[in-house]
Amino acid sequence: MTAAGKVRAVAVKEMRQILRDRRSLLILLFVPAFFLLVYGYALSFDLRNIRLGVQDNDRSAASRELISAFLNSGYFELAADVTSTGEIDGLLDGSDVRAVLVIPARFGADVRAGRRTTVQMIVNGDNANSATTVVGYTFGLVSTVSARFELESRAGSSAGPPIAVEPRVWYNPELRSTLFLVPGLIAYIAMLTAVVSTSLSIVRETEAGTMEQVRMAPIGPLPYVLGKTLPFFAISLASALGIVAVAMLLFDLPMRGSWLALLGAVSLFLVGAVGFGLLISTVAETQQVAFQVALLTSFLPTLMLSGFIFPISSMPVVLQVVTYAVPARYFLTALRAIVLKGVGPAVFWQELAALALFAAVILTLASLRLRRQWA
Amino acid sequence: MTANGAAPAIDVRHLTRRFGAFVAVDEVSFEVRSGEVFGFLGSNGAGKSTTIRMLCGLLRPTSGTAIVGGIDVGRDPEGVKRRIGYMSQRFSLYEQLTVDQNITFFGGAYGLSHERLAARRAFVLDMAGLRGRERSLAGTLSAGWRQRLALGCAILHEPTIVFLDEPTGGVDPLSRRRFWRLIDDMAQAGVAVLVTTHYLDEAEHCHRIAIIQAGRLAALGTVSELKGIFESRRIVEVRAPRPVELMRALDAMPEVEKTSIFGTAVHAVLRSSRTDVAVVTDRLAASGITPTACVVVEPSLEDVFLDVALSAGREAGGAVAAPGGGLA
Amino acid sequence: MGLSLRRLLHVVRKEFLELRQDPRLFGLVIIAPIAQLIMLGYAASTDVRTVPMVVVDQDRSSESRDLVAQFSGSPSFQVLGTLDTVEDVDDWLNGGRAWIALVIPDDYGEDVRRGRATAVQVLADGTDANSTNVALGYAGTLVSSYARELADAVAGGSGEPLIGAEVRVWFNPQLESRFFMIPGILALVLLVVTTNLSSMAIVRERELGTLEQLNVTPIARWELIAGKLLPYALLGMIDVALVLAVAIGWFEVPLRGSLALLILMCLVYLLTTLGLGLFVSTISATQQQAMMTASFFFMIPMVFLSGFVFPIENMPEVIQPVTYLIPLRYFLVILRGIFLKGVGLEVLWPDALALFAWGAAVLTLATMRSSKRLA
Repeated sequence: MTAAGKVRAVAVKEMRQILRDRRSLLILLFVPAFFLLVYGYALSFDLRNIRLGVQDNDRSAASRELISAFLNSGYFELAADVTSTGEIDGLLDGSDVRAVLVIPARFGADVRAGRRTTVQMIVNGDNANSATTVVGYTFGLVSTVSARFELESRAGSSAGPPIAVEPRVWYNPELRSTLFLVPGLIAYIAMLTAVVSTSLSIVRETEAGTMEQVRMAPIGPLPYVLGKTLPFFAISLASALGIVAVAMLLFDLPMRGSWLALLGAVSLFLVGAVGFGLLISTVAETQQVAFQVALLTSFLPTLMLSGFIFPISSMPVVLQVVTYAVPARYFLTALRAIVLKGVGPAVFWQELAALALFAAVILTLASLRLRRQWA
Repeated sequence: MTANGAAPAIDVRHLTRRFGAFVAVDEVSFEVRSGEVFGFLGSNGAGKSTTIRMLCGLLRPTSGTAIVGGIDVGRDPEGVKRRIGYMSQRFSLYEQLTVDQNITFFGGAYGLSHERLAARRAFVLDMAGLRGRERSLAGTLSAGWRQRLALGCAILHEPTIVFLDEPTGGVDPLSRRRFWRLIDDMAQAGVAVLVTTHYLDEAEHCHRIAIIQAGRLAALGTVSELKGIFESRRIVEVRAPRPVELMRALDAMPEVEKTSIFGTAVHAVLRSSRTDVAVVTDRLAASGITPTACVVVEPSLEDVFLDVALSAGREAGGAVAAPGGGLA
Repeated sequence: MGLSLRRLLHVVRKEFLELRQDPRLFGLVIIAPIAQLIMLGYAASTDVRTVPMVVVDQDRSSESRDLVAQFSGSPSFQVLGTLDTVEDVDDWLNGGRAWIALVIPDDYGEDVRRGRATAVQVLADGTDANSTNVALGYAGTLVSSYARELADAVAGGSGEPLIGAEVRVWFNPQLESRFFMIPGILALVLLVVTTNLSSMAIVRERELGTLEQLNVTPIARWELIAGKLLPYALLGMIDVALVLAVAIGWFEVPLRGSLALLILMCLVYLLTTLGLGLFVSTISATQQQAMMTASFFFMIPMVFLSGFVFPIENMPEVIQPVTYLIPLRYFLVILRGIFLKGVGLEVLWPDALALFAWGAAVLTLATMRSSKRLA
């Protein structure tokens, strides 16, 4: 038998086995796309309808104007009218409000007289991300209102008008976090699907004893690994394309680059991911260990070290080095480049090369590992 | 009721189990007495394991009753568990645990006190020949040792009724003989033993045998009673250089009911015991075949089995498909 | 009763013996959680500390240089270089080396000198909406306060705005996002370990055949379940102690509430995750199925819909009720409450109750589904 013939034999057998486990197969094909649907819809960093408590000790026209500025911005909604300072504790402890705006008693008088005054914003800091955003909004809104009052009081003076900042945001003008998150979701779900489907496959045969039978056949370790990779790759690819389809149809994920590049990047990524699962399968001695190792190395690390949610450049250098070992990192960069930026492979060829290298190394390691076991 | 009036240890009446449309066990009825070794014979998929599982309380019967040790298993599956021992085909031991640890665990599972467990442990180690190997991992033992250890773990609590499901699969002949001596010892001590097997030579060990075919009880009786189905017929063993041609020639004869291959020879069942061997040889000569041997033989269990299996008529079904899930 | 307990203890002992025989699993269960927590604790930061940027100065006046100096002098920015043309920005932004580019128009200096309104452009890579938002916020604040200084310098004012905003952040004044994340990672790490152990527990015995043997003994259903879960609960508690030590000792997440309450809640959480795994075990025919079911239907949703990274308030109305089904949601509120807010049961009782109810329900369901006899 030729090498290709051996690979085919293993692949066909594996495919038949997969097709027999209906439940698992259906999960692998359809659940990922379904997940994208749900999570793509559910997840966002955009903070809106921030619950705001207001303690207005002044109740003047000026204070009401400040409050309206907050409420009309679209970011905040009035959740509580605070009458006494003692209430604030309870509101923040219980997370009924995310922030409390406290306006001092002589706010209106001071503003009309052109005297400097200060309002207080007490922010619930347990979610630092949201808190930072709230703080940012606060400064922005207060500064805008302040400028408006200043202009009124200084109308006719020769003071220079402020310098405006015009932001031009590329690729994602409305700064929808969805466009940022969806590619990450695609990468994450695809990686997990691939690893989960394969990490038990070889060790299961070892535990059941059918591996001995395989060793009897004149199939070498490498054709065996490749033969096992193919059907899982096919399924993962189908699943991944399903995810991308959902993303584009339902989340308006743009496609500004080339389909060929997308297919190439996805394929390289999936071969590596499937291979990674197989490698785990050759290293673990029991299915339970394989499961645990698979979870440990992909479940949380892919989520957090691929650039999906947390920017890699903000991580300590040591960790940034670790992220080089996370294939999802490269895929995500390439994916975003293709889908959002519409640039060609010239920009992300390094990522593609890294993915190819990863796949090659992993498959080789898996074969070597098997050869040692079979010797 | 048995001859001396004592209640049977196992009393099965019209036991039935269906899986959807498939009937795995079909109205099976039989009794097993204390001190009796009862053999359940049948090809794979005939319903032997399914029946045993029902009797052990592992599977709920669709209809019919089974009284084991005086307890209606269908209604009170947990009640029998203290009184029965069970050994599965897979010699279910904890491979990651040592011989000793397995014994301790199963002893504890059956609630044996310290003293009793110590005594039984000694017994099992001796019976299985595992003295000195208490700290070996069960998974490293070869088939014969595992088999005896599994049996030992199944009878730690000295049950009066023991179920053995294909207990000699994959075990060498010497170990098998040793195992059957153990079974005989148990029976002598008054234990009722129900053994399933598809090894016909082992079935000869049993006091009585039931042949199960496609879920139905096809025959029941002592070995000699079963062989009695050939009373009015005769079995001839014929040898010739070309067995297939020989079979065809024999099948063509009106005196021959059926033929089957036995090792290197062919057994031909003659419709009547009055037919002489000479008739057969004459006919063969007429077809140009000269057999190297042609003698009348006593029926063996294999002959009985084939005869019963063929006349049962129905195709043996495929593997029983039990739904997955739960603890069972 | 004594007999029952003895049988239970025998099951417990057997589980421990089996675990001990598999040192790898043991190591994975004890050591890996700590390693994960440490590594991911460092990764989990959405704080943007320094924004890398480039400048395109089309004006080259002393005023424009002054503006650029504001940026290079600020700790929030790192000016990587000054470019000649806007086209050069492509490379920097696409490659991700710079997050924003400041473009100063050629009439900037003149406008400022004449007191005319002027604008500068900030180009940003919107694919990472979160970071972009923050970067734009910093830039906007910097420019507007600089502008005010200029304006007041001309008008002879104090250089201070009319309305100031004093922001106080409760629970997390340094806005250290790690304090928000680490309790979440802690919970997820525990989830990964315990779900694996318990979801494979019963399926494995079924696959090996020893479950049948167990079912034939007088061991009762609940004795088997409790006997299996107790060792895992114990391992889980060891894990709890270890990860808590890391969180408090290493990452110095403040523990403002009661340690005793924290440990108690961790125990309740463990029961929930173990019960969940056990339930998976009862609905799966093979270990492969158990792994897939556990990963896809329990662990992934827990990551995304529990409020771990993505605040639940941000989620669409339709999805929010679904989050009530996720036990991690309650546990996170409890964790963050005890750690950061220092509150106790008087505030947390609804979540504690929900978590407990969840655990009890799933354990009951799992037990009901486990029958020693196939129907």
